[in-house]
Amino acid sequence: MSAPQPTTEPMRPRRVPPQPTPESQPFWDGCARHELVVQRCSSCERFSFPPTNRCQHCWSDDVVWTPVSGRGEVFTFTVYRRAYAAELADQLPYVVGIVELDEGPRLITNIVGCEPSRVRVGMPVDVVFDDVADGVALHAFRPREE
Amino acid sequence: MYQRSAAIVGAAHSELGEVPGSTGLGLMADAAVAAVADAGLKPSDIDGVVVRGPDDEYAFQQQLGERLGLNAAFSTSLDNGGASQTLAVILASLAIEAGLATTVLCGYGRNSWTRTRQAGSRRARMNQSTHNRAREWRDSFGYFGEPATHALGAQRHMAMYGTTKEHLGHVAISVREHATRNPHAQMQTPLTMEEYLAGRPVTDPFGVYDCSLRTDAAGAVVVTSLDRARDLPHTPVVVRGFGSHNNLQGWTVDDHMVTTAAKQSGERAYRIADVTPADIDTAQLYDCFTYMVLAQIEDYGFCEKGDGGEFIAGGALALDGAIPTNTSGGQLSEGHVEGMLQVVEGVRQLRHEYPEERQVPDARLALVSGHGGNTVCHTTLILERG
Repeated sequence: MSAPQPTTEPMRPRRVPPQPTPESQPFWDGCARHELVVQRCSSCERFSFPPTNRCQHCWSDDVVWTPVSGRGEVFTFTVYRRAYAAELADQLPYVVGIVELDEGPRLITNIVGCEPSRVRVGMPVDVVFDDVADGVALHAFRPREE
Repeated sequence: MYQRSAAIVGAAHSELGEVPGSTGLGLMADAAVAAVADAGLKPSDIDGVVVRGPDDEYAFQQQLGERLGLNAAFSTSLDNGGASQTLAVILASLAIEAGLATTVLCGYGRNSWTRTRQAGSRRARMNQSTHNRAREWRDSFGYFGEPATHALGAQRHMAMYGTTKEHLGHVAISVREHATRNPHAQMQTPLTMEEYLAGRPVTDPFGVYDCSLRTDAAGAVVVTSLDRARDLPHTPVVVRGFGSHNNLQGWTVDDHMVTTAAKQSGERAYRIADVTPADIDTAQLYDCFTYMVLAQIEDYGFCEKGDGGEFIAGGALALDGAIPTNTSGGQLSEGHVEGMLQVVEGVRQLRHEYPEERQVPDARLALVSGHGGNTVCHTTLILERG
């Protein structure tokens, strides 16, 4: 295996468009607009993720897609050193993280915009969007600039 | 409350390791035949089957019944991933106590080594997650494979408690040391910390030695009533208690990846068995990755949460340690059959089958764990020498 190439532009993995379901389509439509949206319960005001037809907390069916701040922190992360698909081999190393949004939900995402060795649990991050295909964007998070 | 009326009377594994041309079903049949023979029973004694097949097979127990010429009063295939194999013994015990069946065959087989070497399969498998849900929420972000899921937990544990890569290394080294005394184990040579740290990186903090093996093998056990067990050849291994817990909300929710479902599963099992962690003589834990041993050692109360790294570095998992663990070499060094070989090893330790160099001295109580189902399902068995 060849050593990871040094880079000044931190890598993100080859990102393939998701295949939305009718329930998740509004989430991905939001990403395409570069807007992070999560369902919020009109009854108990808490957020639910992943996409649902029922509030995870109070079971209300009145859940409304709501823009969120895009601010959060790294709950945990892992740096991929090995490619699980040939197409990812030149993308190593890249970071898969769990980001906890200020509003509560945790998202699987990529941490970008910094060297993988600098990523830390608890690091404040902000959402960015990556247009991966016509009308399709994926979220990622980068360290917040203070 | 469960009356402790079931016992394991037969236990076996198939050929184990690299078995070219093998199938999961064929290996399962081999292990089943060996386990029924070990129990001193004949095929017509079996009236229950609780097994698990590959994730893409439907009603797998029917395939096994067809192959072995069995009908059943009670049968099913389970869907709790790596927790299924211990869950099978729980369901068998409950079915026997309730009178649904008298003698139940439990087991699991897989041909992971053979399958990953079949042309084209490796790329196809790695390039896309098996399940629709993971395809949507993981694949797009380059999140593939089970190592990452557990690495996320390990990284969080490290940040919260100061756990180190070397602590994980002590898990790998300890179970490898056990494997060197198991002639069936896939890995036979001792592992040094230097070798561990130099292992090919996979997904931080895991390297290759943090990951379990690709194995062709099956394991099987036969469960019957304790009354019947008294008339059979081996010392019965009583199913003294069990527990389960399933964090269905997910691995990334709350603190599930650091304090796993093993905690509540273990508490239930201790209560039902009326024992404490200090009573357990040996633990056979689901070691898909080194981190899961560390987390479970804490969750099962063998040490405090957060102290697992130092506890294990101090030799706790050794045969003469505080809690001899994964004494076959486990899934990290013996072979990975999704927890089924851990049930078999627990039985053998309690029968005192092994030479002195491999036997937990005077083992009377064994704890066996299963973990899986998107990492949120956990099951515990507490077995007792009868």
